[in-house]
Amino acid sequence: MKKVSIQFKLNGVLRQLKAAPNDTLLELLRDKLGVKSPKTGCDRGDCGTCTVFMDGRTVRACLVLAPEADGREITTLEAISKNPSPLQKEFAKRNSFQCGFCAPGIVLSATELLKKNKRPTREEIQEAIAGNLCRCTGYTPIIEAIEAVAGKRGA
Amino acid sequence: MPELKTKPHSKRNHEPPKHDGSKKPAWVKPALELPPQETPRTAPEASQTAYKVVGTSAERIDGWEKVTGAAKFTDDIEFGPGLLYACVVESPHAHAKIKRIDTRAAEKVPGVVKVATGKDFPFKFGLYMKDRYVFAQDRVRFVGEQVAAVIACDPKTAKRAAALVKADYEVLPPVLDPVKALEKDSALIHPDLGKYAHVPWFFPKAKTNIAHWRKIRKGDVEKGFREADFILEDTYTVPRYAHCAIEPHSAIGLFDASGRLSMWTASQSPFTQRHGFAEALSGLGLSHKDVRVITPYVGGGFGGKAGISMEILGAALATAVKGQPVKVMWSRAQEFYNTYQRQGVVAKVKLGVKKNGLITALEHTLYWDAGAYVEYGANVVNAVGLSATGPYKIDNVKIDSLCVYTNLPPGGPYRGFGYSEFFFGLESHITRAARQLKMDPVAFRRKNAIREGDILTYGAPMNPNGLLEAIDKTAAAIEWGKPQKPSGPDKAVGKSLVLFWKAPAMPPNASSCAFLKFNEDASLNILVSGMEIGQGLLTVMAQIASEILTVPVSKIRVETPDTDRNPYEWQTVASHVTWGCGNAVKRAALDAREQIFDVVQRTLHLSKDSLYLEDAKVKCRTKPGWELPFESFIIAGIEAEDHTFKGGPVMGRGMFMPEFSSAISDPETGQGGHPNVHYTTGAGGVVLEIDKRTGKAKVLKAALAVDVGKALNPDLIRGQVTGGMLQGLATVLYEDMRFDEKGRLLNPSFSDYKIPTALDIPEVVIPIIVESAQPDGPFGARGMGEHTMIPAAAMVANAVEDAVGARIKSMPLTAEKIALELNKK
Amino acid sequence: MPIACEFEYYKPKTLPEALALLAKHKGKAQALAGGTDLLVWMKEGLRSPEAVVDVKALKELKGLDLKGGALHVGARTTFAELIESKLVKEKFPLLWECSRTVASVGVRNRATLAGNICSAVPSLDSAPALLTYEAVVLVQGSKGKRDIPISQWFTGPKKTALKDGELVLGVKIPLPKKHGACYAKLGRYRGEDLAQVGVGIMALANDEYRVAFCAVGPTPMRAKRIENALNGNKLSDELICRAQELVPQEIKPISDIRSSKEYRLHMAGVMLERGLKAAAARLAGEGPAYGESVL
Repeated sequence: MKKVSIQFKLNGVLRQLKAAPNDTLLELLRDKLGVKSPKTGCDRGDCGTCTVFMDGRTVRACLVLAPEADGREITTLEAISKNPSPLQKEFAKRNSFQCGFCAPGIVLSATELLKKNKRPTREEIQEAIAGNLCRCTGYTPIIEAIEAVAGKRGA
Repeated sequence: MPELKTKPHSKRNHEPPKHDGSKKPAWVKPALELPPQETPRTAPEASQTAYKVVGTSAERIDGWEKVTGAAKFTDDIEFGPGLLYACVVESPHAHAKIKRIDTRAAEKVPGVVKVATGKDFPFKFGLYMKDRYVFAQDRVRFVGEQVAAVIACDPKTAKRAAALVKADYEVLPPVLDPVKALEKDSALIHPDLGKYAHVPWFFPKAKTNIAHWRKIRKGDVEKGFREADFILEDTYTVPRYAHCAIEPHSAIGLFDASGRLSMWTASQSPFTQRHGFAEALSGLGLSHKDVRVITPYVGGGFGGKAGISMEILGAALATAVKGQPVKVMWSRAQEFYNTYQRQGVVAKVKLGVKKNGLITALEHTLYWDAGAYVEYGANVVNAVGLSATGPYKIDNVKIDSLCVYTNLPPGGPYRGFGYSEFFFGLESHITRAARQLKMDPVAFRRKNAIREGDILTYGAPMNPNGLLEAIDKTAAAIEWGKPQKPSGPDKAVGKSLVLFWKAPAMPPNASSCAFLKFNEDASLNILVSGMEIGQGLLTVMAQIASEILTVPVSKIRVETPDTDRNPYEWQTVASHVTWGCGNAVKRAALDAREQIFDVVQRTLHLSKDSLYLEDAKVKCRTKPGWELPFESFIIAGIEAEDHTFKGGPVMGRGMFMPEFSSAISDPETGQGGHPNVHYTTGAGGVVLEIDKRTGKAKVLKAALAVDVGKALNPDLIRGQVTGGMLQGLATVLYEDMRFDEKGRLLNPSFSDYKIPTALDIPEVVIPIIVESAQPDGPFGARGMGEHTMIPAAAMVANAVEDAVGARIKSMPLTAEKIALELNKK
Repeated sequence: MPIACEFEYYKPKTLPEALALLAKHKGKAQALAGGTDLLVWMKEGLRSPEAVVDVKALKELKGLDLKGGALHVGARTTFAELIESKLVKEKFPLLWECSRTVASVGVRNRATLAGNICSAVPSLDSAPALLTYEAVVLVQGSKGKRDIPISQWFTGPKKTALKDGELVLGVKIPLPKKHGACYAKLGRYRGEDLAQVGVGIMALANDEYRVAFCAVGPTPMRAKRIENALNGNKLSDELICRAQELVPQEIKPISDIRSSKEYRLHMAGVMLERGLKAAAARLAGEGPAYGESVL
């Protein structure tokens, strides 16, 4: 098994490294590069805790092979948190999360939604985060925070 | 603001139940004495009940960490390139004798450091009953049980090598049904049960599969049934459920060259784990002081991370690779089949009722499918045995709660601790009884609802509670009695209202402690070992300290525990930490305040009695305008006239143990003792629309009123209701664990054991806060975290019947089950 | 759960290069597009390839456009791209509607239509649309191209007509006449779930109907008997009843963890009715908006 030379942008920084073909992007980020906001929850794309942006779209880092990152731009919550977004502030203000394990994934999924759709309906918000499982909150406080931010944006 | 009641339990005219008719038995204790409430000494103009911080919806102190991704969970901690990884070899059989384990091929794989089996760790452990092993010894008792582990330099090597470990078994017949497990010819799962150590309030039956049998005999149940105008009897079944915290279990152990064991675990119970590790591994010369458990944020617990489950592997394996940290991380599949599961139950309910709606007798027999090991789960069974009347005043009660071993994964604590399970049957039954009487089910409940001072199953009086208020407010929220039009021709709408209660199930001496340290700038660090599992404990502890010391919440940091640094806490379970840990923090804050007053009195000669705190300053009632900011003395002390310094760093210490509690009672009747410290009560209601063709249920409205005593942070309480309600609805509408005839779990993934998504929530959830103060709670508060999911199952079952006339007596009530039931006709 | 198997990763830049790799690792190579099924299978030990051939650099597999009277969906096209395409939404509403029900946003951003049909699980959401639109799978092997009608594509659970060494270039979907459509998906949840039953329905002018099912047999299937019963007749409750009676002859559902056979049979009938009504209404410019569930 040959390691693969890859080059990609991680949170704005160009990285060059050799990746094992059977490493996932999630393993590369967490175990090799110390980027910990994407979490291991189910390791099969069901729960959404490993969500990261790849070229501006959310993907399941557990379902991407590390070599596939070559030539791509990977953005994690760490980068967004350098300049916290109104969405993050709203989530904090409303106590939207409880244990917080799903929070990085949900923040990214909601960020993607608001990028594509400035005034989503409640249903669209629910659909956008339906791939991110949360067992604590019943989702309502999360949905309401996204609604609030979307409302403010358009107003 | 509601008034804080400080009166002790009123003694109503209830005689304790009598044993043999005449004399009070020796175990009947006087009404409990409660610690006096400390008088708040805040601003003089403030009344005793006008709190500034407590009762406000403070923003979570861990909120920002979590929304920015800064919050660290156990698996996020770095251990460097020396970290080893363990992969477990699992039993493919539900019940078998281990004949031989051949590890040679695995040992030869490059990168493998050690292959361990049961022989390396012949240790038993367990919280309430020591029936569990680090690795299976001579026999395996459930599919997925650990029989060996490979420790390697990377997880892939460990996984590949683990596949090379060969284990030979002699397969035994599996016992998969708790009722069949009681039959005479059933295989014995624990032939040595009679020799197992356990707490004195458990009653295992040697040479059977009964690990514990909690009996309650109150009044005269035969007489009660004779007095009844009719008797309703039926059986209800509840399957097993999985917690599904999104963070999997993980544990990292480091047994260093000096002989100290450090553990990093995703746990609700750091001190219980420390004790368990130290006990189980005492053969290796470990003492408690050598064991350190560090628990970062927990990504959801729900009881699944209470006690010790897979973490014992991290501890044991660390001792096998001295000097190097070793990580055990559960996959999602293991998360389903090798952690605690919520136990299944077969419950027989027999209820006697008079025409006027008075309940005369209850016989409740519960057969719990407790799984292969019951070291924790048996206490679920016990808790239900004590409380399976629900919040009703019933004079004649017979309860048998049987903890039965089966060859399924170990049962254990799950949010609600058995109450969700028994309430499915009991509250279904209550509605059916009312309907049979042609009485309004809410009126029927109101009539029989327990009140303060009524005698509980074990003989002690019921605590103050706002149950009636909860019933009325829930009924109003769902517009009880007012029919609602369905949205289409295939649809039908039903409503229901049910009651719930729950007490913390704890050993009588479960305690909580707190340290509180001031910093130079008058900011505070609070050390507790209550865990932040999402419920908001850290925030509420900060609010309690803030209330007393007048330091703003934003200047208080409360961290997750490290058993070396933080003081003792039993566990973060049982919805008890707001109460127990909150009392400890309150006492620590009062202790600190006392130190502050003391040094001011000593140096500045102002009478303690005239002093109070405001805005992190000491002020004096007799000296208007005078103030002493904390930062001027809180570390440095106060400079006296002779230029010496008095005082020094202020550190508060607080401890709370419910000294009135005891678990010992008569084994045949359950009478005596005071096993439960108090009950939290409430009501839940639902408006449900059913599509009669598809069977799909839509929750149009769900309301839950819970008597929290005092809402320390209303927003966090509403969060618990919204979240717990969905978790409860999921157990009745969607989820269940399915096993094949060999005991293998068929749905160990989020694809097959689905949990609700953001599209599967009720249209409206209405949290209702009732405040009837708990006299011994911090500012009157009691716990409510688990209670929010308890009523859901019966709520739905009753609403389904109300909507479409089908009474379903086995959970879950999936769309499939409802549709097939309706299409039978 | 790590991927324990070891393999070489290739990302060929040309089609011949890719085909050569597949030929070289005959039987032990896996093409990788979205990877949303493949990675799970590798983690669970269900697939242990010695070579993974990433096809995302192949220009022949790119594109989502109308040419020669058919929609060409390149094998690299993701479900997200299908959903975002105005062309798909307007001209192929059934494909659009079913694409929205596949997994979740984060998965649809990677998962491809071609990958979906290669996985060929019985619950395949895109299959009823492709079957009713009579799509053709474009396949390239070292010996040349093959066009495989979708009706011959699925050969069993997780089995297709694709031969070792062949690669799916894309899917060609003939531009249909004006039609109304409905993909009714039964899941346990409204959010991401695998189908317990899926029904795709196309209603054309002159009372012509096409019906296909998924998750109710070893492979997704067209329901010709039902279509014959419907075609040429005005849609009525009575007609629907007759069509429903044929459901047990058309489908072969099993009981599994997600649903019992009985419920699948029952629901296939209910969904047929609701789907037919919705498709007919949509043809008339009425009925629920596309994307709105009829369940």
